[in-house]
Amino acid sequence: MADTVKAHQLATPAEIEELNPEIVGADYDVQLESLSQWQLAWRRFKRHRMAVIGSTLFLTMVAIAIFGPILVPYDFYKAPPPDEIVYAGRPPSIARPFGETGGLQRDVFALVINGVRWSMLIGVLATVISSVIGTIVGGVAGYFGGFLDTVLMRIVDALLALPLLFVILVFTKFLGAGNWFTVMIIFALFGWLGIARLVRSVMLSLREEDYVDAARAAGVSSARIIFRHLLPNSLSPIIVAATLGVAGVIIGEAFVSFLGFGVDIQTPTLGNTLNGALTFISVGNWWWAFFPGMAIVIIVLGINFMGDGLRDALDPRARI
Amino acid sequence: MTDSAAIPARREGVGDILLDVRDLRTCFHVMDGTVRAVDGVSFTIRRGGRLGLVGESGCGKSVTALSIMRLIEMPPGEMAGEVRFGGRDLLTLDSNAMHEVRGGEIAMIFQEPMTSLNPVLTVGSQIMEAVFLHQEVDRGQAREIARQALADVGVPDPQRRLDQYPHELSGGMRQRVMIAMALSCKPDLLIADEPTTALDVTIQRQILELIKSIQERTGTALLLITHDLGVVAETVDEVAIMYAGRIVETGTVDEVLLEPRHPYTRGLLASIPSQGKRGYRLSVIKGVVPNPFRMPEGCKFEPRCPYQWEQCVASEPDLIALGRPDRTARCWLRDPRFFARRAAYDAAPSPFEAHE
Repeated sequence: MADTVKAHQLATPAEIEELNPEIVGADYDVQLESLSQWQLAWRRFKRHRMAVIGSTLFLTMVAIAIFGPILVPYDFYKAPPPDEIVYAGRPPSIARPFGETGGLQRDVFALVINGVRWSMLIGVLATVISSVIGTIVGGVAGYFGGFLDTVLMRIVDALLALPLLFVILVFTKFLGAGNWFTVMIIFALFGWLGIARLVRSVMLSLREEDYVDAARAAGVSSARIIFRHLLPNSLSPIIVAATLGVAGVIIGEAFVSFLGFGVDIQTPTLGNTLNGALTFISVGNWWWAFFPGMAIVIIVLGINFMGDGLRDALDPRARI
Repeated sequence: MTDSAAIPARREGVGDILLDVRDLRTCFHVMDGTVRAVDGVSFTIRRGGRLGLVGESGCGKSVTALSIMRLIEMPPGEMAGEVRFGGRDLLTLDSNAMHEVRGGEIAMIFQEPMTSLNPVLTVGSQIMEAVFLHQEVDRGQAREIARQALADVGVPDPQRRLDQYPHELSGGMRQRVMIAMALSCKPDLLIADEPTTALDVTIQRQILELIKSIQERTGTALLLITHDLGVVAETVDEVAIMYAGRIVETGTVDEVLLEPRHPYTRGLLASIPSQGKRGYRLSVIKGVVPNPFRMPEGCKFEPRCPYQWEQCVASEPDLIALGRPDRTARCWLRDPRFFARRAAYDAAPSPFEAHE
């Protein structure tokens, strides 16, 4: 009799543990996992297949740029002895997977790796600098508005009205003197215009937010409101624009170098490598141009896919 | 406009007066002309006192608060008058000193708790920011002050809340956080701009009780801005009713709510829905707030006022004292010359009460 009564009673925690230790092991205090914005963004990003592919490509290229020289254990600057020289170069083989260039018989694989290294360096540095300039100019213009905004934005308008490519060609030719750092700075100095406009437009809407009033009412200074309260809120479009900006600079640098106005020919950027390939395509040396070209395509494609994914993932209105 | 001269001087216990707003005028120069959002507003709040500023949307109550904090954007806006606070005129204070006053000596709570917290910063870092700005403390102390502030406003598990983001909190919790933030630096004056408008009724009561109890405990003076006369009745001691940028009636809560001496106040009171009016059409004040670009020449309420006559069209009355200096009404009916009309007003039931 006592047994049947017991069967109808609710089991005590100790009894449950006896029956199934795993259930009790689980935390009964169910707390909703609270995710920060970045965790939510990461979740959305992971669902974006092209973005994952794109960022994998991009990160691979970054890894190559960083660790590349370890992969190429020989000095590719050194020309081979004259008896090995074949004018049109050697096509891809097992030993030299990307083939050898015409003329100086350099390993295209090594050239591509070094090209990626230099192009990435220039692209990333120029974009970081231009993003910082653009964010400061756009942030100040958008937050304060009025006269300051008018002056800064007219400067941006005036610079945007210049045919940028020619300006960059002229600057790189006369100021750059082939120094990669100068070329990078020139790209940085002309690359902030778009970001400044973008940040300004975001700031214009953010400054009307209630929390800005609340922060001002708490005595927070303008600079602090711009950079501590508003900047994190406008970070997502900046990240997206900067990501795509890297691709822009890499293509721009390749283009300028290809025309012979860019980085010194001794610095093997992807553009310079392509430039060298120019005269040899006619003798059938396609691999010299193909592999550096593909490297540019892969980097830019990867960045663009990644940028698209970031744009969707960082959109605060997006639901998971 | 000779309002400032007409305002009866409130001299009793001068040392007690914390905030003395004198003839405050805030206008905005916009494309179509000039909007006088606040036009000659004067009032005082004593140390530890509670004043309610009441009026419908667009009457200038929020602009009054923002003017006191000097948060009016100056190119379109323009301010005149005096805001005397702790012996200084806030309108002429230099901007660094003003940063100290904001948040440190005068704190403000806003209407929208859902949007008044920065979504990308944790609750704790936002409270701590206010603490760092106004107190000399290190990180650990600031965190402890923030935790204590959250505990004081009745946020459960304050330690955990410190590291949460605003979107993880409900509206009522966020408003508590805003209050904690405002009170973390022990201000002398708390301006609450419609603190409960965005909350549902049960939470409203909790928040009001909270503000009131903290106010009583810390001795912070309170300027409560609201359109809700029920909130006023529960929370403050003195009331100033605003209409079209000026104060139309002042007095203690009992005086104003039980014996309204301005037709506008009477209209406001009549339009509160209540159980007794069940089955009747909800009473409203006929007409709309005057267009700010075409204000009436005389009394600003005259176009909507059931008692109006030629005098009201011709000129605008000053605030007329009713027995004592703090009890005033801006209505010609209170002028001794129009005694007969006043008797009719006082005797008759409110014409705002709509009948079936």
